[in-house]
Amino acid sequence: MTLTAAPRIHPRLRRRELGLLVIAGLALAVGSMTLELTRRLAAGDEVATEPGLPFANPAALAIYLGAVFAAHAILVLTGRRTDEVLLPTVGLLGGISLLLMERLPQDLAGGLGLGTTQLVWLTTSIAVITAIAAFIRSDAWLRLYKYTWAAFGVGLLLLTFVLGREVNGQRLTLAIGPFSGQPSELLKVILVVFLAGYLSENRALLVEQSTRLGPIRLPPLPYLAPMVAMWAIALSVVVFQRDLGAALLFFAVFLLLLYVTTGRASFVALGLVAFAAGGAVLYEIVPHVRTRVDIWLDPFATASGAGYQVVQALHAFARGGILGTGLGAGLPEVGSLPPGGIPALHTDFPLAALGEEMGLIGVMAILGLYLVVIERGLRIAASAADDFRAILAAGLSLVIGVQAFIIAAGVLKLIPLTGITLPFISYGGSSLLTNGLVVGLLIALSDRGVGPPPPPTAQRGLRRVFDRGAA
Amino acid sequence: MDPVVLSIWILRLVFLALLYWFLWTVVRILLRDLRAAAREPGAELGRLLVLASPGGEPAVGAAFSLDAVTTLGRDVNNTIVVDDEFASGSHAVLTYRGRAWYVEDLGSTNGTFVNGQPVDGIAAIGFGDELQLGNVRLRLERARR
Repeated sequence: MTLTAAPRIHPRLRRRELGLLVIAGLALAVGSMTLELTRRLAAGDEVATEPGLPFANPAALAIYLGAVFAAHAILVLTGRRTDEVLLPTVGLLGGISLLLMERLPQDLAGGLGLGTTQLVWLTTSIAVITAIAAFIRSDAWLRLYKYTWAAFGVGLLLLTFVLGREVNGQRLTLAIGPFSGQPSELLKVILVVFLAGYLSENRALLVEQSTRLGPIRLPPLPYLAPMVAMWAIALSVVVFQRDLGAALLFFAVFLLLLYVTTGRASFVALGLVAFAAGGAVLYEIVPHVRTRVDIWLDPFATASGAGYQVVQALHAFARGGILGTGLGAGLPEVGSLPPGGIPALHTDFPLAALGEEMGLIGVMAILGLYLVVIERGLRIAASAADDFRAILAAGLSLVIGVQAFIIAAGVLKLIPLTGITLPFISYGGSSLLTNGLVVGLLIALSDRGVGPPPPPTAQRGLRRVFDRGAA
Repeated sequence: MDPVVLSIWILRLVFLALLYWFLWTVVRILLRDLRAAAREPGAELGRLLVLASPGGEPAVGAAFSLDAVTTLGRDVNNTIVVDDEFASGSHAVLTYRGRAWYVEDLGSTNGTFVNGQPVDGIAAIGFGDELQLGNVRLRLERARR
């Protein structure tokens, strides 16, 4: 009996990735120098002429860049033909986050301080991306157990309803023993996995239209049930958890995936109508929702009360102008508690601080980086081998894109503000780890060498055909 | 002007310029990828990959580029000739209509199966699904782009 040898792994150079990583590293080094020189200038002239190259916290930057280049080295050694753009893009976003967290007041996070804690989570997130991108070769564990995953997600949600700890009037944080985290972050990944499984399996049925509702034609009713359940879950998240951001994210991703799968704009229109109706009812019933919408309509009416956060963010963008004040040169008290600071700057409002220090041009570059993530994800989806992988890849990239849009638009007062993190920039372990999971899966899915697993087949008794030659 | 202030100004602009250099490099890579995808010949709608074929025709591992209508069977006039003793002369037809693939059984003796389920008349088939005619098993896959 012969043992089958494990497939040999050939290292494969990733030149594009290396080139992009070098540019990203240079940008971060220059940013760190700006930060340090600004600090020295503010501290007084005698420190400004210290010898040596000025870097703000060189050890942290070195550790972070080391982690990103190590991730690159591991991907080279495993030699898979995977995407080479996502890792540098995410690495640059994380680096910008590191520069920002080092400059904010360190007491926003207990223990190690804001900058160091963020560094720990960022390196862990890069490690998650690398592990998944390098070693996940089959998607069967996601594909085959979609209902198990869905049950796990609903369980997490219920557990948060019951055991959740209230922080700032929102029941989002789940603490079990010494561990605490925000399950809604993980829930968005589970949702995409379930939808990818469900929609790829029932695609043909959903395209078919047998039910009529006035001028709109719908798929058979039993196949609409999960859709209605989704709508109900999104609304219950709003009512019980007061988490508008997560509800909006879940529902938007759900509608987008429905459109990606069926190509029917009527579904999206119907979903938007249902969303508007639900929103109008919630506006009347839930005071939390009404406050958010009122702030959005006129934050200056309560500029020193409820609208304080949004008004300060708008002022920060205005101070930044086109070129920004420069890294580290924003208002020093911006991250601290009121008066003078924006509450939750490090979790919900990092874009306001970046808008002040990097200006319109910098914010547009950051939004461009998110666009790159979406484009890569949709490209991976378009070239995927089957429907499940295509919908999964589209959903994963849209989760990041939609989340970035919701919080960026909220901070800019384009839509009502909902508390949600800016992927890879906001402070927070749950957010960084799950977004690392998402990007790692995207890179793994971009490997075209892995085929989908065969569907189950049944062997049957066959009868010989005697019509050889005849039609 | 104070040299420190001046150098901070320069560094700020260099930082923003580097961000845009990064984006420009990424966009160049994306455009090259898109052009490479567009250059690939043929507007195939899908592919049929042969998974098992005891008769050797079609060969295992062969992939057929699909048009809107593909006929399968043992007769030589079919688009894909399935030389299997359990396949009928005109066995099945695979069509692409609107946005979905359908397989129609043309009254074959041993029937056509999608993922092990017999096709009664016409049935929808998606990418990744497995098609069986006689002993020959094929998988419908997305077009290579």
